[in-house]
Amino acid sequence: MIVAQNLLAPNWGLFVWMLVSFLALMAVLGKYAWGPITKALEEREKGIQDSMDQARVALEEAKAIQADNTKARREAEAGAQAFLRAAREDAEKLRNNEVEKTREQIQTMQEQARIEIEREKDSALDALRHQVADMAIVAAEKILHETLDADRQKKVVKDFLGGFSQN
Amino acid sequence: MTLRKVEILVFLALTLVIAVPARAVASVLEAPFQEADGHDAAQEADEHRQNAGAEHAAEEAELDVVHHNSDSIYLDFSPFAIVELPRIFLVRRADDSIGVDFFWSTHAAVEAGGYLALEQEGDHGGILDAQLEPASGEIIMDFSITKHLVFAWIVMLMLLAAFLPLAARYKKGIGRETAPKGKFHNMLEALIVFVRNDIVRPSIGAKADKYVPYLLTAFLFILTSNLLGLFPFAAAATSNLMVTATLAMLSFVYTMMAGTKDYWKHIFWPPGIPILVKPILIPVEILGIFTKPFALAIRLFANMTAGHLVILSLIGLIFSFTNLFGPVVGWGVVPISVAFSLFIFLLEILVAIIQAYVFTMLSALFIGMAAAEHDHHEESHDHAQASLATVEAAS
Repeated sequence: MIVAQNLLAPNWGLFVWMLVSFLALMAVLGKYAWGPITKALEEREKGIQDSMDQARVALEEAKAIQADNTKARREAEAGAQAFLRAAREDAEKLRNNEVEKTREQIQTMQEQARIEIEREKDSALDALRHQVADMAIVAAEKILHETLDADRQKKVVKDFLGGFSQN
Repeated sequence: MTLRKVEILVFLALTLVIAVPARAVASVLEAPFQEADGHDAAQEADEHRQNAGAEHAAEEAELDVVHHNSDSIYLDFSPFAIVELPRIFLVRRADDSIGVDFFWSTHAAVEAGGYLALEQEGDHGGILDAQLEPASGEIIMDFSITKHLVFAWIVMLMLLAAFLPLAARYKKGIGRETAPKGKFHNMLEALIVFVRNDIVRPSIGAKADKYVPYLLTAFLFILTSNLLGLFPFAAAATSNLMVTATLAMLSFVYTMMAGTKDYWKHIFWPPGIPILVKPILIPVEILGIFTKPFALAIRLFANMTAGHLVILSLIGLIFSFTNLFGPVVGWGVVPISVAFSLFIFLLEILVAIIQAYVFTMLSALFIGMAAAEHDHHEESHDHAQASLATVEAAS
């Protein structure tokens, strides 16, 4: 007797039952389960892929925009700086001009003052000379009143003063 | 409480659960326990034959592990109940007409007359294990509902109950427009995606999606059957050779349908081989077409049967030792038997999953090899060879 006879005995009735049952199971599951499920999974996979692609594109765009923004900001900054520098230079120039002008004005004023002073000095000297001459005459008149007439006195004083002014 | 203590407690509980009823049964039964001993079984059968009909399978004295694992025409819930299954016969009657006989049970078939129970040597007696023969005419085919068929149907109902609601969820938009929600949904989706993305697509390539429904159904059927077989009072439909043969035959049919001109050319006139070698190689190739599905069927059947046989044999050791050396030794063997069968049981869980994977993977590879086009022949061939090596190492 074969020990495992029962295990190996062919049962074609069971084979037919199994074949029919399994094919029926496959048909039902295939139509109502695997079909919708795999379709849904593919849709989801596609959805996820699309979202990722879109995200990547959006990221690229955002990066590009950011780069643009950065560039624009840099340019603006550079512009502002150049403007600022120009303004500063202008101000500097203006200030220098102003200083120069003031200095010139002061110099002119100093010059004028000097001339004025010179003239005043000359006129003062003239006046002094006249006064001294007059005083000298008066003094000499008093001293020499008796010895010299007026013309002689004047000549003597003039000679004296002539030698004096030339020094 | 530490994990270690919990483990020990569970182990002791298991020992008691198995040992106490088994001892009770053993002490009630007067006949000695023997494992599939043909000679004694024959004597048993003789005894039973004397009061045939009244005898019941539950009263069997023998623990026959092979018998327990074979298909039967009743569901064995002993010691609680035995459920007889309908008998359906396609018969050629005495007047040469063909008809169908339907009975709700084996007893009904015999009691209604017209069918005789022919008990064979090696049967454990009782009408339930007997071969039924019509009083007149002959049976063309026995379409009786068997234990394994019932469990195959249970598995199919489980699959329908799990995946039709799942599909409904996807139709509602959960998992299609949103992320999958919940353990149930995620777990089942992971299975589907695993089979499609990790088994079918890499093995078959461009035309893979056409074969997803078959391979997915086969994978889930085998996996569920294998795991269901580990429950008490249940049986694995995949531990029946006819069930695995049905699946293997479907794989064979799919492989044949997938075969390209290239595939057939490689079988009937392999290119790049010396003409003198061809007469040797061609028959080998032709044989190979049939050995592949044959191996598929045998592999799954043998793996699923072997584990159950080993577990039952290990439990049976308790009774064998009791008979040989007395009850003290018998009790002493209990912890060892339980420990070993627990180990095998855990191994069985692993095997249940691996074998479902192996069957599906190999079927997909065979289909893929047949469907490969010449352009990427070398590439897919290499892939197939590599995968084949992996799978064979795993099984």
